Amino acid sequence: MGSQMPKVTVDGTELEVPAGATVLQACELAGKEIPRFCYHERLSIAGNCRMCLVEVSPGPPKPQASCALPATEGQVIKTDSEMVKKAREGVMEFLLINHPLDCPICDQGGECDLQDQSVAYGRGASRYDENKRAVTDKYMGPLIKTTMTRCIHCTRCVRFSEEVAGVDEIGALYRGENMQISTYLEHAAKHELSANVIDLCPVGALTSRPYAFEARPWELKKTLSIDVSDAIGANVRVDARGREVLRILPRVNDDVNEEWLSDKGRFQVDGLTKRRLDRPWIRRDGKLTPATWAEAFAAVASINPGSSIAAVAGDLVDCETMFAAKALLGALGSSLLEGRQTGMSYPADNLAAVNFNTTLAGIEIADAVLIVGSHIRWEAALLNARLRKAVKRGARVFVVGPEYDLTYKAEFLGDDAALLGKLPGHVSEAFGAAKRPAIIIGGAGLAKGALGPALALAEQWNLVRTLDDGTAWNGFNVLHMAASRMGGLMLGYAQAGGIADLVAAKPKLVLSLGADEVDYTRFAGSMVVYIGHHGDKGAHAADIILPGSAYTEKAGTYVNTEGRVQYAEKAVFAPGDAREDWTILRALADAFGVSVGFDSFEELRAAMVAAVPALGVEGLADYGALPQADKKATAEGTITYPIKDFYLTNPIARASATMQRCSAELLHGEDFAEAAE
Amino acid sequence: MTAFFQSAGLPFEAAWLLATVAGILLIAFPVMLAVAIVIYFDRKIWAAMALRKGPNVVGPFGILQSFADGLKVFLQETIIPSAANKGLFLIAPIITFTVALLAWAVIPFSATAILSNINVGLLYILAISSLGVYGTVIAGWSSNSKYPFFSAMRASAQMISYEVSIGFILICVVLWAGSFNLDTIVQAQKGHVFGIVNGFVANPLLFPMWVMFLISGMAETQRAPFDLTEAESELVAGYQTEYSSMAFALYWLGEYANVLLMCALNAVLFWGGYLPPLDIPVLYAVPGLVWMLGKILFFFFIFSWVKATVPRYRYDQLMRLGWKVFLPVSLAWVVIVSGYLMITGHFA
Amino acid sequence: MTVAQLIKSFTLWEFLKAHLITLKYFFKVKATINYPFEKNPLSPRFRGEHALRRYPSGEERCIACKLCEAVCPAQAITIEAEPRDDGSRRTTRYDIDMTKCIYCGFCQEACPVDAIVEGPNLEFATETREELLYDKAKLLANGDKWERALAANLEADAPYR
Repeated sequence: MGSQMPKVTVDGTELEVPAGATVLQACELAGKEIPRFCYHERLSIAGNCRMCLVEVSPGPPKPQASCALPATEGQVIKTDSEMVKKAREGVMEFLLINHPLDCPICDQGGECDLQDQSVAYGRGASRYDENKRAVTDKYMGPLIKTTMTRCIHCTRCVRFSEEVAGVDEIGALYRGENMQISTYLEHAAKHELSANVIDLCPVGALTSRPYAFEARPWELKKTLSIDVSDAIGANVRVDARGREVLRILPRVNDDVNEEWLSDKGRFQVDGLTKRRLDRPWIRRDGKLTPATWAEAFAAVASINPGSSIAAVAGDLVDCETMFAAKALLGALGSSLLEGRQTGMSYPADNLAAVNFNTTLAGIEIADAVLIVGSHIRWEAALLNARLRKAVKRGARVFVVGPEYDLTYKAEFLGDDAALLGKLPGHVSEAFGAAKRPAIIIGGAGLAKGALGPALALAEQWNLVRTLDDGTAWNGFNVLHMAASRMGGLMLGYAQAGGIADLVAAKPKLVLSLGADEVDYTRFAGSMVVYIGHHGDKGAHAADIILPGSAYTEKAGTYVNTEGRVQYAEKAVFAPGDAREDWTILRALADAFGVSVGFDSFEELRAAMVAAVPALGVEGLADYGALPQADKKATAEGTITYPIKDFYLTNPIARASATMQRCSAELLHGEDFAEAAE
Repeated sequence: MTAFFQSAGLPFEAAWLLATVAGILLIAFPVMLAVAIVIYFDRKIWAAMALRKGPNVVGPFGILQSFADGLKVFLQETIIPSAANKGLFLIAPIITFTVALLAWAVIPFSATAILSNINVGLLYILAISSLGVYGTVIAGWSSNSKYPFFSAMRASAQMISYEVSIGFILICVVLWAGSFNLDTIVQAQKGHVFGIVNGFVANPLLFPMWVMFLISGMAETQRAPFDLTEAESELVAGYQTEYSSMAFALYWLGEYANVLLMCALNAVLFWGGYLPPLDIPVLYAVPGLVWMLGKILFFFFIFSWVKATVPRYRYDQLMRLGWKVFLPVSLAWVVIVSGYLMITGHFA
Repeated sequence: MTVAQLIKSFTLWEFLKAHLITLKYFFKVKATINYPFEKNPLSPRFRGEHALRRYPSGEERCIACKLCEAVCPAQAITIEAEPRDDGSRRTTRYDIDMTKCIYCGFCQEACPVDAIVEGPNLEFATETREELLYDKAKLLANGDKWERALAANLEADAPYR
């Protein structure tokens, strides 16, 4: 083979394929569809389902498993010969021998690889009269429902948890016909990406437990959206029936989420229907009472704040909402905007310094990584899968922060932020020798002032460089946790002193855009108007509640932690009287008697793009070069990770029964196994 | 009858008035009753020819079906469309119904039973039946609805077309009978052919005229196959579309009264009226009224039979038949008949 | 136009022939039956009022696969499902809008467990529209009421499927 591109002939078409490609990939390049169950692009090759048989010469005079056979020079591959057809029919018949064919009660029905391929490649009838094998169902936690009789032993789930998730949670027991897929000792699958095995399973053996029996794929309206459960901005598809979102599935985007999605992003959907604010509320005599929109707007107008108004953006809001609020405040003569609810005050005048510059895909090839104050598994589970890939490629990972299981080998240097100024020699050595070094600063690090020292390290280690192959490398990364953060920073939702500046200004009115992490006691003298979708902390502290839309209920622009501008579409309507957020802000402008300069969503988006052009272009925003490092900057304090509970980080997840159960069972060890059966 | 009331001691004027009113009632009520029965027969005949049984639930053999329908219609709400011309909308069915009854005044049911034995009876009938079209046209116009309007236009054109040829056909009869008085026309048919057959129809010269009269009669009364005014496939229910309740029922009654009248005219003008078919003394033992009613029923059967057999004409075919066939033929026939009568010295 | 045609036309020959045919039928035995008291025989495949059947054990057959809902060309069927307490897949809602239904029988064709069937009952007219919006209870009650006829019909038709 060598490094030459081998030339193969697929069904009479001659083509060159990349060196190291398999016969299956060669056939795909030729535009031929090869049926498969065990083969998956992002997993290792197992070659155990035998569905991908093709006829190859030169070679033995029998069909060959194309997924495990390297393409070599001069191969002649046939994918539609009589032998291949018979082979596929035979394999399909074997696979169906022990498959229960209970499609009518199977949730995979309608989107099942086995179903589709048996229609396309099967015989249509079975000659098997004997009893079928039955397998007891295994408990895999609150998210994964199992019907192991349906399993065809493709081992995709096993390979995923070993290779991508990095936890040995799922494996195969016994041999031959007795083989069973199981979590060892039937404990729940605890990894943050565990539910991706549901998508991977080509049959209905592993299905979604919260979604069990809810709907059929053909009933669902599919909408392209962006996940807001973390700052990764995973591309998702929102599946809704009627006015209810029933499930969320990942979309393929190799730059962002590959084809995975964290369990929180996937299963917080049931929170979208619970604890919702579906009508305005006004605090009267210390108690929140239901009101009409007209009353609510009148109440807001009666505050008459003039320019004494501030806005705090929550973690889940879209750029349009933030821009509409900014326009409203601007019209009133105020610029008191802040999005960093917990009080962080890192400088945001140069966005390159607070961006994940290496990009999510780029970090895969880093060979030395220093993580400062970030519980990556919980703050960005998908990034952790990328880092795991880097480690498998040979990267060394060092962590400043409390110890936790990263699922790969990493060296914990201690939890004192001051360590940044006096890193051990072998770390500096490793970074000096590294070709593609990277630093990742998490929220906990930022809180302790790690940004300055990290920038100094970036200069010291020359993190911004040109690689040997001529491509640019920027190894300086800040990992945010809020989906709205980068968009907020781009729109100027940052005061020099953080939220303390807002407190100091003592505004008459605080506009809370779904801000649920703010300590509202600091705004005791202000009227708090909450525009949001869930009855969470922010709503409890509010004086007037204007019900808005969750991320599935409005179109919006989101910028993820790497500065990637992405657009989400509206999947369903908001419940009850709730409105899209921007329309509320537009109506408030009328209530205050000011003009914000837009009357439709299109006008709003146009105005936003005019103000911040980068938001108008899908893809990575260009923030320019890193700022000059302040050599004297120091970080101090003990780093503690802000996320205490992975499953309950945002108001939607907190309202979700599924997420609460995950939290209770997977993190706090409460036993639900009995109740489930 | 005037004499009868006079014998009861009333002065002539009062007796005449009473007698006339009684005569009117004696004709109008049986006609109404007959209409009800005839509708039942119509449905029965039609059903039988379609291998159905027809109404058979209300009363013995379903004979009370028409009365049940009448009661139902009577109890319904009269709906007047908001856009309709209210006054005309309500007058229209009354015109149709009244005119349908008026013509019966001159029909001789027997040698003595004739309400008004006027010497221009046939002209009177022509005049009255021409008025009938007003009911239809007014209904179509006042409904202020497109289908009734189309229907009304069709109706007026259709009735006028066929009245022309009917007029010429009647002239042939009048020429032969030598009178416009219906009773005289009946008497003229006594022993008309070979001194034994009562009825112009047996006259080879008048037989074609009878066929044309029968067909024109169907067109004139808008019966199938000429029921284009209520062609449900195109015009919903024609000029009656917007009508309900009693107003609708009046059309219903008037239509069938007209059909019966046309049957009666057939009998009177061509089939010897109240005379028995043959001029044999023994047949005169049967009262003239029975012969007359029997003939009317026979023609009604023919009307129903045709309705059950022939599909509806297209409008252009209807017009072609009226203007291009019947009109020239009947016109020619007037010449032929009068010529024949001239040559044979009939008028001498 | 030939002379024969001319004669035919002027003597209204075809009309007379047509009238003779109708007259013949006038005297024939009538096809009408005395409906509420006499009824026509129904095919086992007759598609009348819907019913949801049960197994002899009393367990409802429907497993909420939603194939009938998917195949219904009139979109008259609405199904909602969730796991029952014993974990089995069951409907929580099974509605048929009988005013939308076109009685095509696709639902019973699609049903993998013979749960939804169109029975032999054709006399289910109601006085209000709402009564024609059948819910699961009504359909199951229908199934219980007609089970013997339904089972017999399915068996009679089975050899031809």
